[in-house]
This record gives sequence, C-alpha cells and structure tokens, in this order.
Amino acid sequence: MTGVSGSERPVAGGPSTLLDLHREGRLVREYPGVRQLLCEASDAELARAGQLLARLDPDEVVAEHPAVPVVTVAVTGHGTLAPLLPSLTVELARHGLLLRPHLADFDAYVFDLADPGGELYRADLALCVLDPMVVFDEVPVPWGPEDVERVARERLGTLAGLVARFAESARGTLVLNTLPLPRRFAAQLVDHRSRARLGAVWREANARLLRLAEEHERVVVLDLDPLAGEGVPVVEPRLSQYTRTHLSPALLAAYAREIGHLARHRAGQGKKALVLDLDGTLWGGILGEDGPDGIETGADGTHRAAAHHAFQRVVGQLAAQGVLLAAVSKNDPEPVGEVLRGHPGMFLHEADFVRVVANWRPKHDNLTELAEALNLGVDSFVFVDDSPYECGLVRHELPGVAVVPVNGEPALHIEALLRDGWFDAPELTREDVTRVAQYRDELVRKDFLDGFDSLEEYLRQLRVEVHLVEAGPAEVARLSQLTLRTNQFNQTTLRLGPAEVRALLDDPAARVLAVHAADRFGDNGVVGAVFTRRHGDTVHIDNFLLSCRVFSRGIEQTALCAVLRHARAHGARTVRANYRTTPKNTKVKDFYPRNGFAPVTDDGTTVTYEHALGVLPVPPAHVHFTEIPGDDGS
Amino acid sequence: MNSIDDFLILLQDDLGLPVTGADVGAGLDRVPGWDSVHLLSLLTLLERTTGRALPLADALEAGSLEEIYALAVTS
Repeated sequence: MTGVSGSERPVAGGPSTLLDLHREGRLVREYPGVRQLLCEASDAELARAGQLLARLDPDEVVAEHPAVPVVTVAVTGHGTLAPLLPSLTVELARHGLLLRPHLADFDAYVFDLADPGGELYRADLALCVLDPMVVFDEVPVPWGPEDVERVARERLGTLAGLVARFAESARGTLVLNTLPLPRRFAAQLVDHRSRARLGAVWREANARLLRLAEEHERVVVLDLDPLAGEGVPVVEPRLSQYTRTHLSPALLAAYAREIGHLARHRAGQGKKALVLDLDGTLWGGILGEDGPDGIETGADGTHRAAAHHAFQRVVGQLAAQGVLLAAVSKNDPEPVGEVLRGHPGMFLHEADFVRVVANWRPKHDNLTELAEALNLGVDSFVFVDDSPYECGLVRHELPGVAVVPVNGEPALHIEALLRDGWFDAPELTREDVTRVAQYRDELVRKDFLDGFDSLEEYLRQLRVEVHLVEAGPAEVARLSQLTLRTNQFNQTTLRLGPAEVRALLDDPAARVLAVHAADRFGDNGVVGAVFTRRHGDTVHIDNFLLSCRVFSRGIEQTALCAVLRHARAHGARTVRANYRTTPKNTKVKDFYPRNGFAPVTDDGTTVTYEHALGVLPVPPAHVHFTEIPGDDGS
Repeated sequence: MNSIDDFLILLQDDLGLPVTGADVGAGLDRVPGWDSVHLLSLLTLLERTTGRALPLADALEAGSLEEIYALAVTS
C-alpha cells in the first residue's frame, strides 16, 4: 500500500514540501512554486496533493498571483464526477496552471450540452465524462448484444446531435471519451458467439464516438482503452454500485493527466523541443570509453542495443510530427559527430537534430544557450537523461524544463518518454511536418549573419519577402496554432482554437491577416497573424503575433505598416492596439510605441496604444513587400 | 493508523480538512469543510492506509467521523 505511511512523511528541517505549505497555510502564497514541488511526485503523492490543492479558492490564488495562467474546466457527465476534481487540480498544477472548475449536477450531460447559456459553453475545456453505464443503465434483463447495440445507437444518436450543437457556438474545446467495456458485463453472456458480438457492437459505438472528433473542430475524444490497457482498473465495483462513480478513481486520475496536457496546450504552453542525452539514453554505453564500435545501438544487435534502437525510432516518430530534436551530451564533439554520421546501428542521424551540443559544460548552460539559438523559451524543452545527477541539476537550475529521467533499463525508455503527453496537440498543421528543416535553416541563417559586419547588410542580403493575405479556410489551423504556441511575440496572448479563428473569418467587422515570409534560404510559410476589428472609424488590433523564428527582420514592421495604410485608406481615423504583459512577451512591449503609437491607458497589465494615422511609419527598405490588392486604397 | 490522533492527521494532511478532536464525534454535517465527496476520498484513503477493505455500504451511512474510524479499525 502506498500513501501516508510514516516513512513517507517529510524529514524535519528539509526544504518545504507541499504538506509543509499546507500545514502552515502557505499554499496560496506559494502557489507558483507548487509546480516544482510536484515534479517528482509519485501517483500516490499526486493524489494527496490533489486533495490539498482542491481546497484552495482559485480566486484567492489569482488575487495573489495574477500572472498564473487560469484554465476554466467545466465537468459534466453521466456518473458521480466529484472525485475527478482533485486529480484535475493537481494535474494542472503540475504544469503551473490553475484550475477553475465548474462541476455540473449529477447525470446532467444531456441538459448541459443543450444549454448554450451554461458553464459548459463558456469554459476553456468542457469535459463530458462518459462511462459504460450510459448504455447499461438502459439495457433490460435479460439482454443480448442486440439490446446493447440498440441502446448504444440511441444514446450516441442523441449525443452526436448535442455535440454538433455545442460545436456551433461554444467557446472552448469539448472533451469526450470512449466507453470501456468492463468484464462484469461481457462475462454475463455465457456463449462466446454472443460475447464476441457484444465486443463488436461495443467497439462500433466507440468508433462512432471517436469519429466525432473528425466531424467537429472543437471536439477531442480521448480513447480510454490505452489507459485501461496499462493495467488501470476500469471500475471499482463498490463505488460504482454505492456512489455511482462508474469509472475507478485510478482511471479518473489517468484521464485527468491527459486533460492536464490539453489544458497546457490551451494555455499556450505546449512543449516544442525534445533534448536528449546520448550515453545511456540514446545509445547504451559510454562513447568516450567504449568507442563508436562499443556503444549499444542497432536493431540487430544485442538485446540492449535493440532497445536503444527502438527508443530512437519513437524519438524519430515524434520528430516527424514537428517536435524539434536536439542532443546535449558530455562528450567530445568529434566522436559524437562520427556516430551520428556513420554508425550503422543508429536510427537517428545528424540531420534529424536541429543541434547537437557535445562538450563538458553544465547541461543547464547548454540548454539555456540552445534555447537562445532556437529563439525558444527554455520551458518549451523536454529533457531526457539517464543520470539522476544531471536530471536533478537541470530541475534545480531550470524549473520550467520538463525533465524525463530514464534509467539503466533501456526497454523502459519509451514508456518514460511517453508517460506524459508532452507534445500532445489537438491537430497538426503543414508547418509541423517541416519544422525541423525550418529551424535548421534558421541556424544556417545565423551562420550567414556571422559573415556580415552590419545587420543592415545582412538583412539586405537575406532578401526578405513578406506578403499579407486575408486569411481563408486554408490558414485556419496554422493561425490557431500560432495563437496557441507563440509566447514571445504575442501582444495580447489571445488564444484561439480553429473554430474561433473560423468564426472571425465569418465576422464582417473582423479582419484576419496571415503573414507569409520567405528569404534566400527558402519559404518560411505562415509566420504571423494580425487580428483586427473595426468599430466606427477606429480599427482595433486585437492581437498581433509573429513566430519566434523570424523576429527582428523587419517582417513585423512591414506588416504593421500595411495594417495602418489599409486603415487610413479605408477611412479609419485611428488605430488602437493593446499590449498585455505576460512573463514571456516583455521583449515586444515597445513594438507599438516604436512604430508611432502613443499610450492611451495603462492598468499595469494592459497598455492601450493609439496611432492617429497622421505620419505613417516607413516600412524597412530591405523587405520586399507584396500588398494585398486594393489594400493601399488604389 | 493506530489511534484516533493518526486518523485526525490523515484528515488534516491528506484531505486538507481543518478538523480537531472536537469534530470527530459531531455529525458529519457539522464537520468544517465537509461535503459528501470527502466521504468517498476518505474511504478510499482509509483502505489504502490500512491495507484492508472497508464495508463501504456501512461506511457510507456513518453519521460521524468517529463511526468511520471505528469501521476502519475493526473491519
């Protein structure tokens, strides 16, 4: 049994634990540090922490720490769901987020999904937690597979209609889940032919549920089968019978972990890069001692070599979906380069990495520099290492980095890496699959820059081309992604799901511009977005964002000039824009004033600027700009 | 869990309830911060801590923390 045995109590005199903070009534005051206290917690410790954190009043935490990102989560469903809240609370806290929950009444999901005025329609995440009793509560006795098929069809028909209605007008993302099939039902059919038929009709119902995610942009369907397949019990029969908690507490905790990753993505804090140690992590053995021929990797090699090769395949699979790979290793660079270029047992090669850092410096210094080189926040990194020392040091020095410790059993590396859905996203875009190449190009550009004496000359030689387009359906996914992933050049951090972007496209007062850029090294694709709204003779820039890959090349000034020109040409008298400060966007806080805007109001968090459209800023001469036809009033 | 004091610590440290010895014998509706969800969490926690199964149907009908404690240590 795990949990609260005396040996797990913190040692007096050590650093504060979550329990210390609770006992001393300091959890609200210390909330921003809670994330760090949870990073090594076991499942049992997370369960306890969830109980303590769920007692906090979110309003008090927000009052004390206005910068903590808040995610509102409305929970509805079929059974008793209150036991889910502590798990949700702690899973969001693990990511530095604060849960603002709303728990619906018991078995209210049909009503809630049909009520556009309700909490479900306003939340960032709307969870509709389904369980097997959605169907079996309606199945008579005696029953056969055909009864289950009929009831499932009816319930899913109702649900599909409600989901369509939700997807039309709700604000956030709806999360549904598949229905696990507990043995306690399958085993009631004594003949195997019927049992197999039950399995088939059950899976057909689940397949139909899963397809709802393909039909609606703002619907996610979590497949609970892989969670149950890990050995998590689906049902706790007594809780199901006595309290109508139809999914076991363990399954609800696993479900909450998945929700934590969706919430992190929704809050714009998805992870972007996977940074790997080499010796003992990517391959077995120590390169410096064993030499290239002595390290363990290769599909046809020893057991351990094959396990490392299998791990590399999984890493490669993640990279193919837009996760940036880097290596940071305490090694000499030459032998590392030799292995990555020519070792026959390697699945990953030099070209798969945006950067390989092999030296003898502290890893946290290397990670910080890598983040600067890639123009990413270090907290968008996931770091994998087999050395507890390195893991501990990185955790201590760089608390925002997600550290994944692996150990001397390489067959478990894959589970360790995938245990948390660090890179989970509702969908991928075209840019995701070419991201590694884009970042590698970026590093080539930096080398190119080093060859010039002046920035102006570099920019002139870079031959930057910008064209703005009125966004259409083809850009929706990418623009949504920019609002969700961009943290540095993001003036207001207004996060928008695809459906919200689509709604703006259909709004006659709103204008959504996609910023395309290219240069001598190739096409950057859609790198920025401007969201504007016209009120009378004022144009409001609701948000302006630019991918961190392409800052400071004149692209942002060029796009802003075009917006101002367009406003003036179409009769506007002023353009207003907000800058809302966050921990990560301070480097763009002067963007508007540098371009001729004057401050109007400042409440300490948000500054509103105005441009009177008298003298317009001049776009940078080195940028070749393609105007939207008619945009300049001609 | 060997005593009612251990039980109190469990309530305070694992469920975050601001309870004292005086609350143990009172009706559950008079326990500070209590709601029915705590009952489920508490029963799950007691089973984990003691390593024994509780008679849940009886525990769910208990009127006070004291009664729950008695079920946990005698079952």
